[in-house]
Amino acid sequence: MVLALALGAGALASAQNQTAPAAGGAPGSGYVGSDVCKTCHVDLWTPFFKNPHYKSIASGKEPPERTGCEGCHGPAQAHVAARGGKTTIPRAFSLMKPKAVMEACLTCHAGNFDKSNIQRSEHTERDITCTNCHSIHHSPTAKFLLAKKQNELCYTCHAAERSQFEMPSRHHVNEGFMQCSDCHNPHGSFAATWSMGVDSHMAEPALGTESPCLKCHMDKRGPFVYEHPSVRVEGCQFCHMPHGSTNAKLLRRPVVMTLCLECHNQGGSGTRNQGVDLQSSIHNLLDPKFQKCTVCHVRIHGSNADAYFLR
Amino acid sequence: MLTRYCLILGICGALQAQQVVAPTPEQVGSPRGETSGDYNITQSFETGYRWNQVFGDVGEYRSDANYGNGIRLLGSSLTVNSKDGHGHWFDEITLTTQGLGNDPYESIMLRVQKNGLYRYDMTWRLSDYYNPGLTVAGGLHLENTTRRLQDHELTLLPQSKVQFHLGYSRDAESGPALSTAQEFDTNGQGYPIFTDVKRQWNEYRAGADATFAGFKLTILRRWDFYKDDTPATSDGVVAAGPTIGNVDLTVVNQFNRSQPVHGSDPGWMGNLFTRKKRWALNARVAYNSGHNDFALDESVLGVSQFGGAASRQIVVGGDAKRPDMADNLSISFFPTDKLTITNHTSLNSDRIDGASSYSEVLTGTNLGLTLYFQFLGIRTVTNSTMLNYRTAKWIGFYGGWNYSDRQVSTTQGETVPAFANSTVNNSYEVTNQIQSAIAGVRLRPAKALTVNFDGEVGRATEPLTPIADNKFHTLGGRADYRLKKLQLSSTYREAYNNNQPISFQYSYSHSRTYSANGSWTPVSWFSIDASYTRLHLDSWSFLAFFGGLGRSTLQASYRSDYLSNIHAGNLGARFAIGRRAEFYAGYSITMDVGDGRAAAVPAGTTNPITALLDSVQTFPLTYESPLARLSVKISPKVRWNAGWQYYDYAEQFGLLGYYQNFHAHTGYTSILWAF
Repeated sequence: MVLALALGAGALASAQNQTAPAAGGAPGSGYVGSDVCKTCHVDLWTPFFKNPHYKSIASGKEPPERTGCEGCHGPAQAHVAARGGKTTIPRAFSLMKPKAVMEACLTCHAGNFDKSNIQRSEHTERDITCTNCHSIHHSPTAKFLLAKKQNELCYTCHAAERSQFEMPSRHHVNEGFMQCSDCHNPHGSFAATWSMGVDSHMAEPALGTESPCLKCHMDKRGPFVYEHPSVRVEGCQFCHMPHGSTNAKLLRRPVVMTLCLECHNQGGSGTRNQGVDLQSSIHNLLDPKFQKCTVCHVRIHGSNADAYFLR
Repeated sequence: MLTRYCLILGICGALQAQQVVAPTPEQVGSPRGETSGDYNITQSFETGYRWNQVFGDVGEYRSDANYGNGIRLLGSSLTVNSKDGHGHWFDEITLTTQGLGNDPYESIMLRVQKNGLYRYDMTWRLSDYYNPGLTVAGGLHLENTTRRLQDHELTLLPQSKVQFHLGYSRDAESGPALSTAQEFDTNGQGYPIFTDVKRQWNEYRAGADATFAGFKLTILRRWDFYKDDTPATSDGVVAAGPTIGNVDLTVVNQFNRSQPVHGSDPGWMGNLFTRKKRWALNARVAYNSGHNDFALDESVLGVSQFGGAASRQIVVGGDAKRPDMADNLSISFFPTDKLTITNHTSLNSDRIDGASSYSEVLTGTNLGLTLYFQFLGIRTVTNSTMLNYRTAKWIGFYGGWNYSDRQVSTTQGETVPAFANSTVNNSYEVTNQIQSAIAGVRLRPAKALTVNFDGEVGRATEPLTPIADNKFHTLGGRADYRLKKLQLSSTYREAYNNNQPISFQYSYSHSRTYSANGSWTPVSWFSIDASYTRLHLDSWSFLAFFGGLGRSTLQASYRSDYLSNIHAGNLGARFAIGRRAEFYAGYSITMDVGDGRAAAVPAGTTNPITALLDSVQTFPLTYESPLARLSVKISPKVRWNAGWQYYDYAEQFGLLGYYQNFHAHTGYTSILWAF
């Protein structure tokens, strides 16, 4: 099937090869074609064949309003007639309102699945628009036309997260093993907004339905016969700081003892309407072996063999 | 042109937040590349030698940094682009690598595409993970594993109205680890056991996008398979440790456990999207049907709690299922150019249903077979409506209302076939609601200056746990000032939660985050980047636990207080020395000053429980890392680089008697070249 699709696609592609790149628009439409633009904007045009947007020119099938320079900036006739000037460009992005910038980009990119939640993205709410993160003509990155390397780009605004990724216990983003977009969709995600006050709305669910942590931490995914309800119901961030922590294992507390006891104190409504279980009376907290709960409760994320996560 | 290009590079350099000394970020060769036939090619390779010297706790160093000695391909980059967009087999190849040749963090990223025909993306990553587990498990949960991740995505006809997608992902973890097992005495120690981690997850995907009548339909089908075949053994005698109020002579002489888990989690997803002038719609349905089969076979020989010969055999088998579904519907309206209204409704449903049969023979006594089953259902419905209104060019408002309703239900059951009517069923159900309101304002008093304030206040009913959101509010603000050569920003965020459940106990947390950062490129040969963040958290929760010297009694009058007061800073400066050399110096520090106390347990504390809880109320430490890097241009296509990075980790008090302090020098020298 793949071969058949590829062969079929090949036929389409060969048809595309007979193109008339950078063609001008219909007379009177105001479109002049990218060939005219490059007369003055040599510095932008020369490397433009490496730009993903060059596909619109190479294709030769796109209408003028979706082709090359004018595909984004609008018809250039007035700009040419005025012999340049930003104000004569119909869409000069540096002069446009954030919403107008986004609308211009969405003309082509709205259908991308990863941008389908952009209207409810926290970035959109706060006027962070496409050109805040993407540099269309001067991107130093290999993919996605980012204005900077991804983590540095995010750190520009998210200084607190930057500091967390430099803590002793951390996900290794600065070291190049991970990227912010492994867990987040900066364009907005489908994530349900349960804990509104603290959770990011832009965490990208694993497999479309689960915590993003489970994309890599497959052994915590289960399903288990004995689930630890807080893991499944509240999520990993209930016990862990996902970016970085001064505590081992990205924990929210320096020792597991207090982490566990803050819930297991028979407080809260709990699934049994009587609070989260209190530990049994054999657990003498002054005995060192009961101070490190996970030494015995080794399967704390869920177990198939023991209700108390012992094996 | 050249000045402009240098300025762009300079600005990029100014903003480098890189706090890892290698690979070298400098450019080599012509940034415009070279022509070969119909293609343009750029490439560079950095090969060199890394070294390290560690003093103090090597385990903590490996957990935090883990860079070793040896020859590396520190980084490489290759781009091949067709000049007219009509290459024969491909129009673009982009390949970048980092850390290959035994660095603890390695990656490869590849893209190959032919315009209009196909696009192939691949990433491969490796992480060499080490964690001594000292503070969380007394060193008994050591991990020394390697995780390898890979993703492949092939899109056919990427510029067409009908596109096809094929994908494959793999996640594998392997390597030695220590764990613990508790044997013979339920009140006893956890005994160290050796495990050889062997976990693997493979996912295959196929899907298509179709655009018709202004709608875009996305369909994705996925199949995945998971297996965990990690065995555990123990070789040798382990002596029992001291206990309080309990005679424990337990010894484990021989231990073997096999615990395979094999499962699959197939699913599908459908999404329908459209965007018109005055409205947009996005609807998604995703479904996964998780299933795991498992078995456990464990045998132990040793000495019992009271000194007699003991043996134990446990056999467990069963399966667990988790069908889960997520539905979303987003509708946006744009009644005017200034106003956007978005409503989002979601339904998430997890139904986890598992059963296992447990058989045990303890020192010749058959304890029989017990059948367990458990159900955990979580059904969450959320709805939110957001308004985004720009009143004028310089001011805009946004606000909204969120509502969530979550039902958590559990059913637990247990059957001992040897005894009639022994079935026990417990069903519990709790329903929580959260309602919250959000409001914010955006200001742009000048072109380069943006200011944002927002806040949220929420109330929950019946929170599941004592530390969950109950009565909460957040406040935040940020200001950004951005010019080409100077960027300044500052943020403030505060979150407050007060949870008062139905019992006498309650918890409280209050976090405040302040940050400021700036980047300045006054001239093309110098740039500086600095940031400061303060993360302040104080929380307390009432506790209930058993404890005491001798007899253990219920203690319900103590609190878990935790105060973290972290100051974190970053400074980086870059100098171009003539046209030949670049010098970068950076420094980062994380300093938790705690609550200012001089000792973990204040002098004069005589109550042992108070002393124990006091000792973990705060964890002051300093973690700092200065670095320096010099890169010298030998020729237009060759650079020589050298760098040094220092790590210093210093705990002020240690935890539960453990100190993991270390300091380490790491460095590298390399050649960055293009040919």
